Amino acid sequence: MAQENRSSQTPVSTTAHSTPAVAGLDYAPNAGPGELVSGRTIGLVISTAILFAILAIRSDSFLSLYTMAILARQIAFFVIIALAQAMCLVVGGMNLSVGAIGGFTTVILGLCIDKGHMPGFLAVPIALLVGSAAGFLNGTLITRLKIDSFIVTLSMMFVFMGLRSGISDGAPYRLPDSFSYIGQSLGVPYVFLITLLVLAAVSYIFANTVFGRRLLATGGNPDAARLSGINTDRMIVHANVLSGFFAALAAVLWASMLSSAAPETGNDWLIISFAVAIIGGTGLTGGVVSGLGILMGAAIYMLIRHGLVELKTNDYYANSFVGALILLAIILDRAREVYAKRSTPPA
Amino acid sequence: MLQLQSITKTFPGVKALDDVSISFHPGEIHALVGENGAGKSTAIRIITGIHQPDAGLILYQGHPLRFRSYRDSLAMGIDIVNQEIQVIPDASVAENIMLDKMITFGRTGIVNWRAVNSVARRYMEMVGLNVPPTTRMRRLSAAHKQLTQIAKALAANAQVLLLDEPTSSLTVHEANNLFAILRQLRDAGRTIIFVSHKFEEVFALCDKVTVLRDGKCAGTRSIADLTRNELVRMMIGRDCQDAHLGPLNPNRDREVLRADRIVRADKADNVSFTLYQGEILGFYGLVGSGRTELARILIGEDHPDSGHLYVRGQLTRIRTVAHALYRHRIGYVTENRKEEGLLLKSPVRTNITITIWQRITNALTRRISPAREIDAASRMVRDLDIRATGLNQTTEDLSGGNQQKVSIAKWLAADCDILIIDEPTVGVDVGAKEHIHRLIWELAAKHHKSIILISSDMPEIIKLANRILVFKDHRVIGELTGIDDPANTYDLVSTAIGQYLA
Repeated sequence: MAQENRSSQTPVSTTAHSTPAVAGLDYAPNAGPGELVSGRTIGLVISTAILFAILAIRSDSFLSLYTMAILARQIAFFVIIALAQAMCLVVGGMNLSVGAIGGFTTVILGLCIDKGHMPGFLAVPIALLVGSAAGFLNGTLITRLKIDSFIVTLSMMFVFMGLRSGISDGAPYRLPDSFSYIGQSLGVPYVFLITLLVLAAVSYIFANTVFGRRLLATGGNPDAARLSGINTDRMIVHANVLSGFFAALAAVLWASMLSSAAPETGNDWLIISFAVAIIGGTGLTGGVVSGLGILMGAAIYMLIRHGLVELKTNDYYANSFVGALILLAIILDRAREVYAKRSTPPA
Repeated sequence: MLQLQSITKTFPGVKALDDVSISFHPGEIHALVGENGAGKSTAIRIITGIHQPDAGLILYQGHPLRFRSYRDSLAMGIDIVNQEIQVIPDASVAENIMLDKMITFGRTGIVNWRAVNSVARRYMEMVGLNVPPTTRMRRLSAAHKQLTQIAKALAANAQVLLLDEPTSSLTVHEANNLFAILRQLRDAGRTIIFVSHKFEEVFALCDKVTVLRDGKCAGTRSIADLTRNELVRMMIGRDCQDAHLGPLNPNRDREVLRADRIVRADKADNVSFTLYQGEILGFYGLVGSGRTELARILIGEDHPDSGHLYVRGQLTRIRTVAHALYRHRIGYVTENRKEEGLLLKSPVRTNITITIWQRITNALTRRISPAREIDAASRMVRDLDIRATGLNQTTEDLSGGNQQKVSIAKWLAADCDILIIDEPTVGVDVGAKEHIHRLIWELAAKHHKSIILISSDMPEIIKLANRILVFKDHRVIGELTGIDDPANTYDLVSTAIGQYLA
């Protein structure tokens, strides 16, 4: 049978160079033997380090504990929003209603606490549940009606935005001071710790569990996944539930930071969620995600926005930089792919 | 005349073409054959300008050419017909043919559809494409799409036509139709380069053959002076045996799968059959005759309107592929391994163990045991002799034959003992084909697996099956038994099948 192989290929020895799946922050479906993280993620870590170094050199106040804490809190928050998007991207879809679900759950939270006089430990789970239910609704519509996730979540975005404005009349709800304990903590902010825990859990799920790998398989090739016995419809629903859950979690954390439940929460999340997820190396066509990558994506996003303020450029241009950055991230990724293709002969 | 002179092309680590010289003459159908990795695809890409050679010349009518893109080669009258070149599905047939030469009313830019359709119809008639020019492209069969591509090439006045595996999705009848058209074009003085895996076609159609082996030209011969065995020897450097692989010994007392009057609108028309343990039951028929459609019902991907399914004697309803796999241990190896069979970007390991993740998960941590995963995957890699650089090699980078083995391996890893294998050797080269045949045969003969083999490759199905059901129009129109009896020669069986289909 030697004829069918290129001479460089040899049969696999049973265990010699097989490396176990990595249980770290990064799941690298394309990582070769022995690679802990994919090349893409390493690039992100290096970019973050460079940005960090530039800011540390150019600004006096950057390395202060206070700035670090504020930045960490923001980054943590962006990570959660990006996760809400990444969950849907992983299965090959998208969720345009992340921000709308965020706004909607913020209003539910405010309603429960301000009008319903519920304690936080009751209102927060209700808000998370409502967010998950919204995701469940998205997922069910996508899979049952076989409509593209773009159309479904675009429509549902308007539905949730309407509900949000209708219920709240556009006015913010007041939250008790005790509620801001988590969101406003500095030092090592609780929000950051919570996010690290969430990221570790997500990474563990994708790297090690049947559930995570079925999500990845569903995004990687839905037909192949289905014909391999994976209920891909159920996976898509689960992904949307997780997406709704993370949107709600972000909403709760945001309300805790503001100590108010503002209905306009979530208005800018759609762009942020895509930006951070894409810069963080989440595959737009599904099947690829990295927890560490998303953390780095959020850090790069935040450092650039912060950097523009620090360097006293006109902050109004910030979005243009972010847009260019997203393009750059995709171009670099495409270039890697093209290069990889060029260097292998056609099969 | 199109000539490749001492073409060399190197990719990092691989010399894809090494000093290859071939002359393609007008008025000939010239086959280009070779195993996967032999350099065929690279040669095609160089002729069509997708790749540039590192050294050597391409001469056309004696003039050296330097193609920088597919457009350049098109402009020189060289066109390629293959499944990768996409048509515009929502445009009409005429529009697809006339895309770059739309006829307008003067310089108004307004398309004169009547003229476009009538010019397109002329080219459609040349290739025997009998549909209205206004038909939407997506409504055409694969065969008709291909004819459209040829018509488009003719409309562009292509003198050199390059056909890359043109018959892989055509029925025998459609393929014969295509061959007749190619012969006409040859007789009209065009050069036809025909890339194929199928020897029957090369011998039936072509005038000359050039064999590539390991990136080198193993020779150009006239088909008339060549036997099948000689051609195989040129390709793989040794002989290959055909005929029956050997008798099977099915256990007639062990019925593993029985379909009773399965009906599904436009897919299955009152189909009944029984599958016994240790047998290879062939489903023969043309593409679209209802074989794959039935297979999809058997694995729960589609559901019958009426009729009953018995698995190991038990009346069951199979709702999803997961049911078929986890409850009944029925596996389905799809005919489109790239589209439906494999996660191409994922490692070999993932593709093999995807069916057993659940079984090798720690109940408490929900962690898929890496040790057991590697263990299961490497056992399959060893048993099926899958050639890869490692369990973490990206599946996309494997050869067609090895990808197919991975596609089979996932069901074996999950202990499936009923396997439905659909067109197992499409796009697989000779050496690997033989190996896959032996693998399938051994699964039934030695490991008592029960196999339904769907194939429209007659030599393949006769070589492997002990019983064949002939499908036509979603019905079983005939059954042939005792195929594995040495007394039933290829000619006898193929004639019998032919009589059913006549």
